[in-house]
Amino acid sequence: MSFIENIINVLIRDQRYKIILEGLKNTLFITTGGLIIGITLGTITALIKIHPHKTWLGKSLKSIANLYTTVIRGTPVTAQLLLIYFGIFASVRSLNAVMVAIIVFGINSGAYVTEIIRGGILSIDKGQLEAARSLGLSYSQSMKKVILPQTVKVVLPSIINEFIALLKETSVAGFITVIDLTNAFRLITSATYDAFTPYLMMSIIYLLLVIIIASFAKRIEKRLKID
Amino acid sequence: MIKIKNLTKKFNDLVVLKDVNLDIKEGERVVIIGPSGSGKSTLLRTINGLEIPTSGEVYFKDQLIEPTKPSINEVRKHIGMVFQSFNLFPHLTILQNITLAPVELKLMTKEEANTKAKNLLNRIGLLDKASAYPNQLSGGQKQRVAIARALAMNPAVMLFDEPTSALDPEMVKEVLDFMKELASEGMTMVVVTHEMGFANEAASRVIFMDEGKIIEDDTPDNFFNNPTKPRVIEFLNKIIK
Repeated sequence: MSFIENIINVLIRDQRYKIILEGLKNTLFITTGGLIIGITLGTITALIKIHPHKTWLGKSLKSIANLYTTVIRGTPVTAQLLLIYFGIFASVRSLNAVMVAIIVFGINSGAYVTEIIRGGILSIDKGQLEAARSLGLSYSQSMKKVILPQTVKVVLPSIINEFIALLKETSVAGFITVIDLTNAFRLITSATYDAFTPYLMMSIIYLLLVIIIASFAKRIEKRLKID
Repeated sequence: MIKIKNLTKKFNDLVVLKDVNLDIKEGERVVIIGPSGSGKSTLLRTINGLEIPTSGEVYFKDQLIEPTKPSINEVRKHIGMVFQSFNLFPHLTILQNITLAPVELKLMTKEEANTKAKNLLNRIGLLDKASAYPNQLSGGQKQRVAIARALAMNPAVMLFDEPTSALDPEMVKEVLDFMKELASEGMTMVVVTHEMGFANEAASRVIFMDEGKIIEDDTPDNFFNNPTKPRVIEFLNKIIK
């Protein structure tokens, strides 16, 4: 068989494109869903971490935030997937594995985004907060109107980086039965007894996705530049 | 209007202010001068709660300033502050820089704040920069906008923390002229500066600080022309007049 025939065999025969599209859909779904949860969770956790807490409640929240980032960043995402899907939700029937994957990757990504945003906030000159506070704005008003809008610009490249990393990390979602891009091509390999062509195709698709994200990112960064 | 009682401030082991007492009345234009590290800026920053006293109290219109309590936000609405490094908000236009606080704090509607901001910009000759961003302005323009931003809150007193120290020499005058204008209108001002000319011309009272203490507190005329304290004479002899 020629290489072209191999490609047709992998992509077309037995309607294999269907499983590939299913895998692509799930990979994109888990990545974007995970990133949205991650950014939300990461922003909240970063704000908890940098707040100059004085109260008992604030200090407890800070301890929880620290525990969260330590545990999540200290264990493999595969372990988190397996533990949560098979360990915690094992008894739940008709459990949607894609939903579990979105939540797990969201929680996982949130820990990394926390550190990105925390670093971003700390990079803003402390005179900005002083100026906002001296005008009578409260701490939270100052954060919302002055500090966070500036942080967005600073952290955007790192968030895009996280997006790209997350996209590739979701390739372990197959561990909990999700048909993602990687799992789809794994199944095709088992069916065709050809490992080279499917995995090459798979790698090319990941590469194209990353290139698309990166070019989008460049456009957004350009637009945000007010210099 | 401002009453400082037995104020001491320490940064770890370093004592920056030593038992300072000071009364500032409405309409006074107090200029605080002294060598670097004498505690001038720290003293100024305790007035609006940017520094927390180690001991002692600061009162604004008989209300105790408590920097860690929510009441501080209410007090700060009446105390304008101008910083050495301008601290304009780079992500907002000049107009938005001025209107942010009055609108966000619901002291004015958006329209009222815009009108007020445009009047202020017109006054400092920067109306055409209303929709520009801070990094498109010169240092002197930035500082005048920063003063306008504080004025938009209709403050009872204005604090200036070395407002011309970060400026190119050519831009100092435009900022000082604006400050003199405010002084002549009767604005209560407390100014930390190295500009002796401004102190001589615009102040109603000059305070000299050294090593965390107020050494001298007099009229500009007495201070510059008839200094009595050896430390003040030494300081005045070292600077170019």
